Amino acid sequence: METAVLKEQLKKQLIEFLNLTDLKPEDIKDDAPFFGDDGLGLDSIDSLELIVLLHREYGISIKDPKIGRKVLVDINTLAAFIEENRTK
Amino acid sequence: MFYIQQIQCISPQQTFPQASLDTLLDPVNNKLNVIEPSYDGVPRNALRRMSKSVRIGVGAALPIIKNTGTHIDGIIIGTANGGMEDSIVFLKQVIEFEEGVITPGHFVQSTANATAAQLSLVSANKNYNITHVHRGHAFELALIDAAMQLRENADSNYLVGGVDEISVYNYKLDELDNWYKPAPVTAGNFYTQNTPGSVAGEAAVMLLATNDSANAIAAVIDIVTLHTTDIADVQLALQNILAKHGDTIDIFLSGENGDNRFDTFYTAVENELNNDVTVARFKHICGEYPTATSFALWFACELLSTSHIPAHAVKKQGSSSFKNVLIYNVHKGVQHSFILVRES
Repeated sequence: METAVLKEQLKKQLIEFLNLTDLKPEDIKDDAPFFGDDGLGLDSIDSLELIVLLHREYGISIKDPKIGRKVLVDINTLAAFIEENRTK
Repeated sequence: MFYIQQIQCISPQQTFPQASLDTLLDPVNNKLNVIEPSYDGVPRNALRRMSKSVRIGVGAALPIIKNTGTHIDGIIIGTANGGMEDSIVFLKQVIEFEEGVITPGHFVQSTANATAAQLSLVSANKNYNITHVHRGHAFELALIDAAMQLRENADSNYLVGGVDEISVYNYKLDELDNWYKPAPVTAGNFYTQNTPGSVAGEAAVMLLATNDSANAIAAVIDIVTLHTTDIADVQLALQNILAKHGDTIDIFLSGENGDNRFDTFYTAVENELNNDVTVARFKHICGEYPTATSFALWFACELLSTSHIPAHAVKKQGSSSFKNVLIYNVHKGVQHSFILVRES
């Protein structure tokens, strides 16, 4: 899967999994931070939802919190991590 | 028993923040779904995770919480089903992912006490917090709980609510069990089809219960619940209420729901009352759901505070007095309740 296609798919999954009903995929910039007021404004419960998303959709298990902090930053970092580690 | 100082209702009709019931919306596919407000003041991250029952419960309670400040001595909610839609999503995930990794959101929102818990969170309230889930008596037991709390803690106030939502899955189950009519129903022919089944409804009603009569909207004088299929038991319960409080009912607010299997209960109660009692109905406004008596209580407060009954709600015009309202409801032919409300 091309990176651009993966990013588009991720944005749709983010909206679905996190119930971001007031957003469309095109509203989410590739480098917009997931957490904090400057980006999507997600919180710790959302990070759990994202970890479940990675497990279900891409067969990736994140067990080390340090990895989670590096990966769950924005669409760019998440897509790169998925491309390297996906099992499905 | 206690006074109602504030009351709010989010329902399938225009009831929030102000009521306008002279024009009604018809059911769509035999469902009366709530009109949801914009929920200003609810944190967006919290709002997007809330199930519908939690959203409307919090939405109805927020004006009361804001008006009361942080001084609320307890939160008491009645809900038969809680966040049923999210419960189904959660259970589907359990099956689909073979009890493996499951997202927390739907589980958190699906528990029956999610509304009371979210109200506690948004108001930073760490006091008494309880949810009653006894199907068609869930709201009545919340009222009784509040009355008992106020008897023990005279200077307290309690946020009391009744909330239930229509869920797709539960609607289907109840439809298969003949609780809803197969043919389309309008507000106009809600009571006249003479067939089994009703129309699904949902709403959230929140009120502030206190012992303070000053500026109160109404007083809840008595609440009686009984489980029975015997009309004689219901008649006896009513006779006891009338004997205890004086036979001075002005308005009988009937829980008739268009299901002809239960008309005999309502007719029997009507026949026990004086001829000059006005008979009014409310289920064509909010639909049928387990905590519909919370809507009836809101409607009773509306009648008492405006001294006006919308024409569509009147079944039989009696005296023009607006002092004592008796609510009677039967849920699925077994769970009966009476709530006596008096002008304050």
